Formats: sequence, C-alpha cells, structure tokens
Amino acid sequence: MTHTPDEQELLTRQRFLRLLAWSGGSVMFGSIGLTLAEGLAGRAFEPLNQRVEELLQNSQKLVPEFPISEIEPEALLVNSFRFTPELDPTTFRLTIDGDVNQPLSLDLKTIYAMPQTSMVIRHVCVEGWAAIVQWGGIQMRELARLAQLKPGVRYVYFWSADGYYGSWDLASALHPQTVLAYQKNGESLPIENGAPLRLASPIKLGYKLSKWVTRVTFTSELMPRKGYWEDLGYEWFAGL
Amino acid sequence: MNPSVSSQSKPRFDQAIAAKVFHWINIVSLSIMLTSGLQIYNANPVFGGREGWHIPPIGLLGGWLAGGRHWHFAGMWFFSLNLLWYGVYVLISRRWRHRYVGKNDLNALQVGKNPKRRIYAWHRLAYTAIIPILLLALFTGIGMYKPAQFPWIVDCFGDWFALRVVHFLTVPAVILFAIAHSWLALRAGGDRLVNSMFWD
Repeated sequence: MTHTPDEQELLTRQRFLRLLAWSGGSVMFGSIGLTLAEGLAGRAFEPLNQRVEELLQNSQKLVPEFPISEIEPEALLVNSFRFTPELDPTTFRLTIDGDVNQPLSLDLKTIYAMPQTSMVIRHVCVEGWAAIVQWGGIQMRELARLAQLKPGVRYVYFWSADGYYGSWDLASALHPQTVLAYQKNGESLPIENGAPLRLASPIKLGYKLSKWVTRVTFTSELMPRKGYWEDLGYEWFAGL
Repeated sequence: MNPSVSSQSKPRFDQAIAAKVFHWINIVSLSIMLTSGLQIYNANPVFGGREGWHIPPIGLLGGWLAGGRHWHFAGMWFFSLNLLWYGVYVLISRRWRHRYVGKNDLNALQVGKNPKRRIYAWHRLAYTAIIPILLLALFTGIGMYKPAQFPWIVDCFGDWFALRVVHFLTVPAVILFAIAHSWLALRAGGDRLVNSMFWD
C-alpha cells in the first residue's frame, strides 16, 4: 500500500496525536496511582538516601560562608506551625538533659557570656526558597562539651516553647556550624525568628532548625516521635 | 530482514536491547521526576513565590510536598544511574560514532534537498541535543539537593534563584523535546520505528 504525500502527512499526524494522548493518559493515571503509594517511595528509598547523605556529610568540614554584603534580609520568610510564643528573657532557662553527666539549666546572661560563633550561611527551606543570613550564637558542641555526654549518645532532641519538636543525629548537631543562635543579621534575634534561642546551621533544611528552643535532650535511642514534620511524613535526616 | 529481498517487504528497524531498556527506564523515571518535581515546585513557585503561579494539581505526583520529595528522591536513582550506564555503554560500544548527530546530518540540514534525509537529520539532532539537557537537570538538581556539600554548583549559576530557574527550565525543555522527538520519529520511520524502540 502506498500513500500520497498528503495521506502520509495525515497518517503521521494521527499517529502523533494517538502517541500524545497515550503518553498524557499514562502520566495522568500513573501519577494518581503512584500518589496513593506516597509512603512507599519514602519507605523504600529514604534509608538509602540517608546513608548517602551521611557519607557525603563530613561532620567536621566547614561549609563555605558568605561575605556580609551578600546577606539577603528580605529573603528569610517566617514559617511557624502554631503561634509565636512570648518568652520572658529574665526568667528564661535553657535545659540540657538526657544522657549527660552534667545536666544544665542556663539563663541567657550565662549563654551570652559564652564564646560567640558568627556565621553567614545559606538557610534553605524545604519549600525551595533560600536566604543568606548571618547568625550569631553558641555552638551546640560547646554545650555538649559542658554537659559531658555519656557514651552511647547518638541523637539530640530539641523541644520548643510552642510545642514544636525535632531530633537530629549527633554528628550533625556537633558540627562546628550548628549553633543555638540569639543574633540575626547583626541584631538581636527577632521574636518571630525564634528569640531568645533558635537552631541555625548550613547543613540541615529549615524545618530541622527549631525556633524558641527551651530544652535539649541527648539520647541513645530515637523515640517513636521524631519531629513534628517528620512524623507527618517529611524526611528525618534532611541534610543539605 | 534485508529490505532488498522483495519490494513488498518493509525494512525492519532493529534496536539494540540496551537502547530499548535505556529508553523505557528513561521515559518512566523522567515522568516521575517531572511530575514529582512540579509537585515540589508548587510548595513555593519559582516565579513569584507563594503568590506566584501554581501548576494545576492534575497529573502531579506525590499529593503534597513531602510525597513529591519522596518520589523525586526515589526516581533520581533510576534516572541518573540509567543515564550513567547508558553513557558508558555508548562509549565502549562506540555507538556514539554513528548513532548521534554528525557532520553529515548538519550538512543535510544546510544544503540537503532530500526531505526524508532532512527529517532524519532533524531527528538525530533532537535526540542528541536532549542529552546535555538531561545532564543539566541532574547537575542543577544535585546543587539544590546538597548545596552545603556542593556549593560550587550553586556558584556556577550565580545564586540560588538562578539555579532554581535553570533546574525548572529543564522541565519545559524535556516536554518540548518529547513532543518533537515523537513527531520526528513518526515522520522519519512511522509506527514501525516507534514500535521498534518500545516492544518490537
């Protein structure tokens, strides 16, 4: 059977449309089916992804910082999950407990008197935006040193005044750029950004960087509750 | 089958099994990357932020941001490792020498008079050109997934926003490619060529 060029053209067009409709339909139905199996992809691949993230992340290697001039004051959006708690700075205490030889209860004056770490880093939100921010505060590893961790500690829980909670692997928490911050872009940390104390670090996504932290618990085991967003289905490691 | 055996018989297109496997895994994993990627995009649209233009949810994969991310970071293994082994195969089998666009194709496009030869050249040009785009999607994706480990990838594009834009632009590029590639394949070899890459 031979076709005239016009017929040939028509035939190609028909086949093309059929191919388009077929692919479009597959993507549509496939995505609906696979969306229902959302947890499956996470359960099947998150352990592998986490392993790779841990391997990539050398716990001592410093993430390059930015010059002060590159700070983006407007870019840091405020995300909180319930409300903005008002904490009285005169009565505020940071509790450090769990598997430590020296549990601590520190007031802000004591914390401000400790060696300050300042860093200009990129804060990356799970939503996809990022902001270059300066944070000033005390290194988590300094607090861990003061509290004297017991052998076997592998995780750290951060509890916040608004009920938010999260947990980290110890190596990430002891990274030199993981800081409990009380300063943002050269000024006192604003309340909506987590005053008086919040986590800041270039190596974790924003939802790991708890605001209004009041208690830090070192532990050898993860509890069934791993974190507010993590318990809803987000990745636990969330490294950058 | 030898096309010269009889005037009735049509030439058969024999695709290497490796090419078929690559093509299948690529089409499925790329669809997963695209649909879950647009789900992630919707959490904070690249253009305009939260008030920006959202992708209509139909056909998106994951249901919400966490689900989209799970699929994206599961699909990435199939997409990237498939690209890797096929790249190695193309190199060691020397397929790159005669299966991709070459001087003769560019010549045909510039001065060629034979319309069939020109379509064929366009087809080869199209599927060769998609390779750097797929690699770019992967490269920018690694930069966004692990910016603290690969800060130099972000620096290559200037800043975070530029990196996001480039990563996003690979989506329309891939969709346009898929349409052009299907069209050109049909023009160059009809159903038989298309079927040969899928199941024949």
